[in-house]
Amino acid sequence: MNELLYAALPYISLTILIGGTILRYAQGERGWTTKSSEFLSKNDLKLAGPMFHVGLFMAFGGHVIGVLIPKFVTESVGIDEHLYHFIALAGGIPAGVLFVFGFILLMIRRFGNSRMSVNTSGMDKLLYLILALTIFTGCAGTLSGFGGHFDYRETISPWFRSILMLSPDVSYMENVPLVFRIHMIGWMMTAILFPFSRLVHCLSFPFEYFGRSHIIYRRK
Amino acid sequence: MNIKAQIAMVMNLDKCIGCHTCSITCKNVWTNREGAEYMYFNNVETKPGIGYPKNWENQEKWKGGWKLDDGELSLRTGSKLDRIMKLFYHPEQPELDDYYEPWTYDYETLINSRRKNHQPVARPRSLITQKRMEIKWGPNWEDDLASGESARNDYNLQKISDEITLEFQDIFMKYLPRNCNHCLNPACVAACPSGAIYKRDEDGVVLVNQDGCRGWRHCIPSCPYKKIYYNWKTNKAEKCTFCYPRLENGLPTVCTDTCVGRIRYLGVILYDLDAVKNCASTQDEKLIYSNVLNVIKDPTDPAVIESAKLNGISEAWLRSAEISPVYKIIKNWKLALPLHPEYRTLPMVWYIPPLSPIAKNVEEKVYLPDSKEMRIPIAYLAELFSAGNVSVIYQTLQRLLDMRTVMRRKEIGESMPQNLEFEIETYEKMYRLLGIAKYSERIKLPAGLQGVEHEKLRELQGSTGYACPGGFC
Repeated sequence: MNELLYAALPYISLTILIGGTILRYAQGERGWTTKSSEFLSKNDLKLAGPMFHVGLFMAFGGHVIGVLIPKFVTESVGIDEHLYHFIALAGGIPAGVLFVFGFILLMIRRFGNSRMSVNTSGMDKLLYLILALTIFTGCAGTLSGFGGHFDYRETISPWFRSILMLSPDVSYMENVPLVFRIHMIGWMMTAILFPFSRLVHCLSFPFEYFGRSHIIYRRK
Repeated sequence: MNIKAQIAMVMNLDKCIGCHTCSITCKNVWTNREGAEYMYFNNVETKPGIGYPKNWENQEKWKGGWKLDDGELSLRTGSKLDRIMKLFYHPEQPELDDYYEPWTYDYETLINSRRKNHQPVARPRSLITQKRMEIKWGPNWEDDLASGESARNDYNLQKISDEITLEFQDIFMKYLPRNCNHCLNPACVAACPSGAIYKRDEDGVVLVNQDGCRGWRHCIPSCPYKKIYYNWKTNKAEKCTFCYPRLENGLPTVCTDTCVGRIRYLGVILYDLDAVKNCASTQDEKLIYSNVLNVIKDPTDPAVIESAKLNGISEAWLRSAEISPVYKIIKNWKLALPLHPEYRTLPMVWYIPPLSPIAKNVEEKVYLPDSKEMRIPIAYLAELFSAGNVSVIYQTLQRLLDMRTVMRRKEIGESMPQNLEFEIETYEKMYRLLGIAKYSERIKLPAGLQGVEHEKLRELQGSTGYACPGGFC
C-alpha cells in the first residue's frame, strides 16, 4: 500500500501535472484564464482575494524551505532545531491564518452568492474539496509542530527529495502521522487536477510585463 | 517620419436620430452569446446622461486613460508594479451592476397559462442567475432623457455646473453613438499584463487575442471609454473588432453599413508613428486636438508616400488614403473632433459636433443663428470634444453654419457672405459629403488584406472566433 501511495502515485500525479499542463497549453489555450469572478461580485473579494493569495505565496515559500532544503544545510549555517521551529511557526502561523481565512471567506462568497454559480463548474467544486482537505491538514500539521514529537524534516522532506531524485525511498513514510499522510494525498490529487482546472493561471503570472513596451503592434 | 495606415471613422452627430440600429445590428453579429449579453460593442447614449456603463467618463473613479507625470506619459491606473499588486483584486474594475443585469422574459407563461380572468404576464428573469429579478437599470435607461435625474449627474455637466441649469426651458439633448476608438495610443494595450491586446500594424485595428488573454482584467478600467468588456462565461476580455473580417474584404463595419441616418464615414488615414508619443504627451490638454491633426499626414505628400511604401503600405491603400472621406472631414475641413481628447489615447473615431435648435431667447430674431446662440451649450460640447477648449467648438460649428449659409444663399440667389474660411466650391463639396453622399462616397476602403483563398476560408470555419476549439473552457 505504501509503495502505491508514496512511490507510484507521486510519479503518476507529477506526470499528469507536467504532461497535462503541456497538453492543455497546446490544445486549450482559449480556456486558459484566471476565471476571475470580480465582475460578478466585487465587494466581497476585496479582502478575501488578496488574503488568500498572499497566504498562499507565504505558504509556498515555507514549503520550499522546509521540504527542499535538507536539515543538515540549515544546521550547518547555525539554525538549530529550536530556532528552526521558531522561524517555521513565526512564518507559518501568519501564512496559515491568511491562507485559511482567505479560503473560508472565498468559499462563503462562492457558495453564498447566487451570481457566483455561473463561475463555479463541477471541476471547481471538486478542486475546492481537495484544496480544503490539503489546506486544513497542512495547517493541522503545522500546529502539531508545537509538541515537537514528529519531525517532518527527517521523514517527509527526505522522502519528497528522493522522489525528485528518481529513487523513491518509501521507508521514510512508515511512521508519519495520519494528518500528514492525508496532506500528501491532498497535494497529489491537486497535482492531478491542476492541468484541467482554473489553477493553471498561476503559471501565467505576468513577469514579462515588466520587460515589454507599452504599445504592441502585430502584423496579421 | 514613420508612416502607418489606420482605418478611421467619422460620425456626423447632426444626422444621428438615436435609432439604435447600429447597436442592434452590432449585437446580433458580435455579442448575442452567453457571457456577452450585457455587452454593447456599439451603443448610443443620450447626452447629457451618465451613459453606459454608469458614469464611464468619471476617471476619478475608474482611472482610465493616461496622465502626465512631470511631462512623462503614464497610465492613470498606476505604474506596472502598482498594477501587478491589483491582480488579485482590482479596485477600479467595473462590475456587472455598473452596466446592468441582463434579463429575458418568461415568454412561455403567455402560451402555457391556464384560463384565467386576467392576462398572463411574462415576468423578467435574470440571464446570470436564471432567477426572477426586478429590472433596475438597462443599457439604454436614459434614452431621450428618460431617467430624468440621472442626466444631471453627467460628469461633464458637473465640471461646468455653474453655467448650465437644465431648467425645462433650457433643456437640451443629443445622441452619442460610441464604439471602440481604435486609438493611436491605446491604454488598454499598455495595461494588458499578458500582452494579449495589440494594435494591428496594417490597419490600426485594436484586437484582443482570445488565446493570449488570461483574464487579469486590467484593460477594462484602463480604457477611459469603457469599451473593453469582461465575458463572465469565457472569463476573457472582448471588444469591438471594427468588424475586421469585413474591413479585410473592403466592406465597412456593420454599424456603418446599417446606419439609418447615414452618419458614419469610413476611410484610411496615414499617420506618423514617431509623432504619436509626443502628441499624447502634449502639456496643455486643450492643445491635444490640434496636435493630433499634425500627426495625421497628407497622403499626397511625396515624403509621406515614400515612408508609407518603405513600411509596406500597398498602392491600393495609398489610393484609398488619397480619396479618403474621413481625411477630408478631419484634416482639410477640420469639421470632426475626437471624443475626450484629454484621455490622451488619441482616438480614431471622430465626431462632427451637432448644430442644434436656436436657444429660446433668440428664437424670434434670427433664421440661421450664430454658433453661440444654439441650444446645446458650447461649454458642454467643449467638455466632450475638446478638453474644454471652447474656441475649437466655436470654429467647428461656424464652419458648419457657413456651409449652410452658403448653400441657402446659393439656393435663394443672395450674395455670398464675406470673410469665408474656404472657397465656395469647398462648401459645396462639404455639403455634398455631409448631406447627400451615397454609400460609395462615405465609405472608401481598400480590399485585399484578407489574403486567404476562398477554399482555405472554408477550412477555417469554426476554428476561430469566441468559441472554444480546444476544449478546457
